[in-house]
Amino acid sequence: MSDMASFTERQLDAIKEVGNIGTGNAATALSGLLARMIHMDVPETELVSIYELAEHYGDPMKIVGAVFVRSLGGFQCSLIFIQDEEDAKLMVELLLKQQFGTFIPVDEIPQEMTDSALTEVGNIVLSSFLNAINMLLGTQHQISVPGVAHDMLSSILDVVASIYGQMGETALLVNTELSAEGLEEGRKISGHIILIPDPDSLELLLRKLKVL
Amino acid sequence: MAENTIVLGMADLMVIRAPIKLVTLGLGSCIGLVVYDSTAKVAGMAHIMLPNSRGLMGSEKVGKFADTAVPALIDAMEKQGAVKSRIKAKLAGGAQMFALPGMSADFLTVGAKNVTETKKRLSLLRIALIASDTGGNKGRTIEFSTSNWMLKVKTLGKGVSEI
Repeated sequence: MSDMASFTERQLDAIKEVGNIGTGNAATALSGLLARMIHMDVPETELVSIYELAEHYGDPMKIVGAVFVRSLGGFQCSLIFIQDEEDAKLMVELLLKQQFGTFIPVDEIPQEMTDSALTEVGNIVLSSFLNAINMLLGTQHQISVPGVAHDMLSSILDVVASIYGQMGETALLVNTELSAEGLEEGRKISGHIILIPDPDSLELLLRKLKVL
Repeated sequence: MAENTIVLGMADLMVIRAPIKLVTLGLGSCIGLVVYDSTAKVAGMAHIMLPNSRGLMGSEKVGKFADTAVPALIDAMEKQGAVKSRIKAKLAGGAQMFALPGMSADFLTVGAKNVTETKKRLSLLRIALIASDTGGNKGRTIEFSTSNWMLKVKTLGKGVSEI
């Protein structure tokens, strides 16, 4: 499975379905956490050139907040929950308001605390996503402690390039967007979940889904 | 004299004659390697992604790996009239964007490996590395000016430094 370009339509669709099941579970978890309706996009399975990852997801220089986890076990993969920095701030404010009943502007909260809230949301969203996938595949898994970063989109996505760059020039990613609505002033909080299967895990995935 | 700007993408490698500004945006674990010969007024930059090609080079970009990018860059410099003994190098990037407590994975520490391999390849070719800003956990945007041969490094939350 080192040549990413050789996937058939049917295989890409099957991988997308896996993403769909993960996204559904992640949306439910996020909805419970934020006490809001969550809108979810149908996930896309994307073959992206590792040289153009950042451009693919937006302005490479855009500042984003990102939570990253590694999953080990039957289906090894990495996952990123990535948000525009503004959306991440709004989300933390919403979360704290729900917890404490009063609104505190995020800029008045110590960075460690907002990071901790962000990490927790990312962890819950990504764990829910992974649980659903592993249930479907009948695999066991362990999830790492999450890591968090705020930086340029392009710098963040270097991690994807360094996973797939070892194998070739194309990354296979499952990308989906979740957004919370019903906020004041018609604002919206969006976040992308990007699933980065280990290249070695793809074969297992396709075999389990009976499309190999 | 006004400098035109050229922006290098992932795995790009380029050699130019002054006055041109070379820019790379948002380096995470990747490396921005700059080499120049101020007498011949020739400079080059490579946006290196990974340390080692492990002999796997197919049709891939030569700038992708440290072990292939460094010799290719020096070679291209010499073809443009640079003299090897005068070539100086500056280096930025190689951050670790995410740390996962209790977990080690090769791709998480690839930044440090990129730095080590690039330095090793430079020293094998006896190229003097005169300045570097590497490591940490923040992304960098770099601009190399061929009017003063300085490398401007912008880091989120830390401002701008010149090396």
